Amino acid sequence: MRTRVFILLALLLSGAVWLRAADVIPPPPTRYFNDYALTVKPETADALNRQLEDFEKQTGTQLLVAIFPKLQTETDLADYTHRMFAVWRPGQEGKNNGAVLFVFVQDHKMRIETGRGLEGALPDARCRQIIGDVIAPKFRAGDYDGGLQEGVAAMIAAVQGEDYKGTGRTAYQQQHPGGQRSTGGGIPAGFLVLIFLAIFLFVIFVNRRQSGPRGGMYSGGGFSPIFLPFGGGGGGGGSWSSGGGSSSSSSDDGGGFFSSGGGDSGGGGGASGDW
Amino acid sequence: MNNKIIGLGCVGVLLLGVLILVATGVGGYNKLVPARENLDRSWGNVQSSYQRRLDLIPNLVKTVEGAANFEKSTLTEVINARANATKVTVDMSHAPTDPAQLQQFQQAQQQLSSGLSRLLAVSERYPELKANQNFRDLQAQIEGTENRINVARNDFNVAAQHYNTLRSTFPTVIIANFTGFQERPYFQSAAGADTAPSVNFGSFGASPTPAPSH
Repeated sequence: MRTRVFILLALLLSGAVWLRAADVIPPPPTRYFNDYALTVKPETADALNRQLEDFEKQTGTQLLVAIFPKLQTETDLADYTHRMFAVWRPGQEGKNNGAVLFVFVQDHKMRIETGRGLEGALPDARCRQIIGDVIAPKFRAGDYDGGLQEGVAAMIAAVQGEDYKGTGRTAYQQQHPGGQRSTGGGIPAGFLVLIFLAIFLFVIFVNRRQSGPRGGMYSGGGFSPIFLPFGGGGGGGGSWSSGGGSSSSSSDDGGGFFSSGGGDSGGGGGASGDW
Repeated sequence: MNNKIIGLGCVGVLLLGVLILVATGVGGYNKLVPARENLDRSWGNVQSSYQRRLDLIPNLVKTVEGAANFEKSTLTEVINARANATKVTVDMSHAPTDPAQLQQFQQAQQQLSSGLSRLLAVSERYPELKANQNFRDLQAQIEGTENRINVARNDFNVAAQHYNTLRSTFPTVIIANFTGFQERPYFQSAAGADTAPSVNFGSFGASPTPAPSH
């Protein structure tokens, strides 16, 4: 009886997730440069991650890059990235000096979303120039590494003029004074997905055994988009771990990891573009 | 003697009741004040986003006029809508209390929104404009401002909802009515905005996956 109740609850819960599955807001990234779509070389990703981390140490400004395979939303791009920004909250508390470069590879769309504290240094027109004139031509030529390197450099150059002072330590290091991080880059989020996957498989398994052929209506690929947001049923590949982050870059001082400094939800500034 | 005690007891219970009411009322009042301040602040953001758009338009009009034989009707529509929107003003420092006033404001701005989006759509047909750096910057600024307006409006509606809920719960509602905390109107979603957006399946999966560069 108890298991039945549990199954019912699990099904209800997964049903609730199902309804929202078309609009996925990923959890805050664990790194500065997050290549969820595996588009750039690991070395490039690591180097850019370091560069962005150093930039936070120097200026306190949190610039992030997030590359996704595709858009997971029913609303428009700007609304979607703003809602992600509102969850991730890059930037320091009270300064709101954060910005995110979002790239959606299959959609050929990208957007820079700026925090309120960077709207002066990265005004919409400047964002458009970085996207349209710096990154897009490289992307069009298939050079994702180069486009992202130059895009990040352009964003840093634009913000450098702003008078923000860093503390020499990242928000992550301040929040984790012990320094050591027990797990490698991006694993906690990936681990969560694995747990979900295990529950999902368990539910299917139990369901099949208990109700025989009738269980068939819940099995099959119908559920896979819920638990594998990007995997598309292909299995395994859909975790939130950022592909670019090899564990080699995680040193003992908690280096290489991003954590929000407490910026606000942003005002919707920035610019979009395609390639 | 007995009557006296009962009488005193009644008065005591009554006093206690009044005291509890006053205490909760004061507590409610103390929550209402910051909620209203927050609401007014979000209104300020709404107003400044709309103002930002109004400020950008003269520049845009000037740039577009420079393009050879640009469609006149689209331009005049934007110019008129802007003039109309500047006339409908609402106090910047306080969120409106009159739903009709807010609706009027919203209508004027909505007219401008549709005029602007038409102008930007039409401008796609002018390669001369699309190649113009100044125009492209302005376009990015306008688009950014539209986003800011959406965000500010959403934030305002959340603040208004929080305030209205606080205001209309018992016993705060008694204090609210005595101290002039009125119910505040929301932004209504624009006509057509509540219908589900059409999904273009062509953009999912159909586009070729770019080869990873490594």
